Amino acid sequence: MLNIYYGNMPEAVFNTSVYFKNVYEDEWITDPVAREMILDVDKSIVLDSAVIDSPVMGKIPPVSLSGGVKTLILMKNERSKVFNASACGDNCAGWILRLARMDELTINLRHLMDFGEGTFDICILNTNQIVHSMRELVPIAGLYV
Amino acid sequence: MKGMHRIIVQNKRIRYDFEIRRNITMIRGDSATGKTALIDMVREHYENGEASGVELTCDKECAVLEGRTWSGQLSMIQDSIVFIDEGNEFVMSDDFASAISDTDNYYVIVTREGVPSLPYSVDEIYGIRNSGKYGTLKRTYNEFYRLYQVSDYDQAVKPERVITEDSNAGFQFFENVCRENGRIACFSAHGKSNIFTVIVKSPDEKTLVIADGAAFGSEMEKLMRLIKNHPNIVLYLPESFEWLILKSGLIEDGSVAEILEHPENHIESEKYFSWERYFTTKLVQSTQDSYLKYAKRQLNPAYLQEKVSDRILAVMKGIDLR
Repeated sequence: MLNIYYGNMPEAVFNTSVYFKNVYEDEWITDPVAREMILDVDKSIVLDSAVIDSPVMGKIPPVSLSGGVKTLILMKNERSKVFNASACGDNCAGWILRLARMDELTINLRHLMDFGEGTFDICILNTNQIVHSMRELVPIAGLYV
Repeated sequence: MKGMHRIIVQNKRIRYDFEIRRNITMIRGDSATGKTALIDMVREHYENGEASGVELTCDKECAVLEGRTWSGQLSMIQDSIVFIDEGNEFVMSDDFASAISDTDNYYVIVTREGVPSLPYSVDEIYGIRNSGKYGTLKRTYNEFYRLYQVSDYDQAVKPERVITEDSNAGFQFFENVCRENGRIACFSAHGKSNIFTVIVKSPDEKTLVIADGAAFGSEMEKLMRLIKNHPNIVLYLPESFEWLILKSGLIEDGSVAEILEHPENHIESEKYFSWERYFTTKLVQSTQDSYLKYAKRQLNPAYLQEKVSDRILAVMKGIDLR
């Protein structure tokens, strides 16, 4: 299940890039799911735990990944924390749903991320309502962002 | 600052080339499109100049604002284009909005949040469009006659209700037009931030929302997400009601046409936080000695005369309120 708190959430990690830089571990980068996320969102290939091959920027360290992918990696590896998922673009939405299918996931959103045309199970924590489509989600979540 | 400014920033791997023309430009969009890379390059050039290896070409200085000391940094930046990356929570604060409201800088802000405290235009929300190693800005919301979410341009929009952001002269004008029509309900949302709340109460009515596009940027994402599933809702976003009057040709002022053609060349950001304030001032000044003397609080009844109101409504192409 994906739980989302919409709007300002003081206990959430707001600047996910700074947090990532200071806490990430080598295994997080070489993990098969992280490799997939990095390839899908950043179009980049993990060469090893310290080097990623970006089609535009060349060989880059993990801290130079996109803010969206860094936040996805944090969500996967630090489930006890709530991260500001507004650091992620809509091209990360599918991955957030996938991570939530693996295990319970709670995120903070300060904008209306597009979770696509399909169905899903999302609990909007502001009202404790479960929604299954963007048609159901937007009228509720839009009141809080 | 006024005018349009072109910015070219490049290093050996990537080049950005774009123009900005208002005091606030928002950049958002998918992850990994190069938003942070752009800010990083501007920062490196700002800190180290040509020695950074970044080439930056612009007729104004480009600076980066960030961190807890943003207020102090801002006090030392004048007549510049100021870039702010996401992750800087101060952007959402009223203090920030207040601090930049009377500065002579332009601001380019990366954030996906709406930031209702900042009066930015629906026309100045961009994503980065990449083609290989070249990046430019692509407008997020494309308008057709300033109508948004209209799929069939051949048929005029005939709403059952009109919701205005305005509660003053603009509302009084449209309320009168709708009352004369007899079939259209018209009411004010009393501010841009209330429009979403009003619409979701009955989202299936044929609704026309009329709001000031010059400052409506913060509301666009959630409204566009809502109306994606409710095509009966249409947004009409002129710069402002006063812009509509100026555009109608009713005002005998030779400077108006040029101003409307290139507002950016006339509107000083230090004086006008958003363009609709300028258009109000311009309209008040241009009509002060005429029968169309304009006041924002109370609509001059002259604007309700049929021959006058028809001229204003004629500007609203694609909309039928008669």
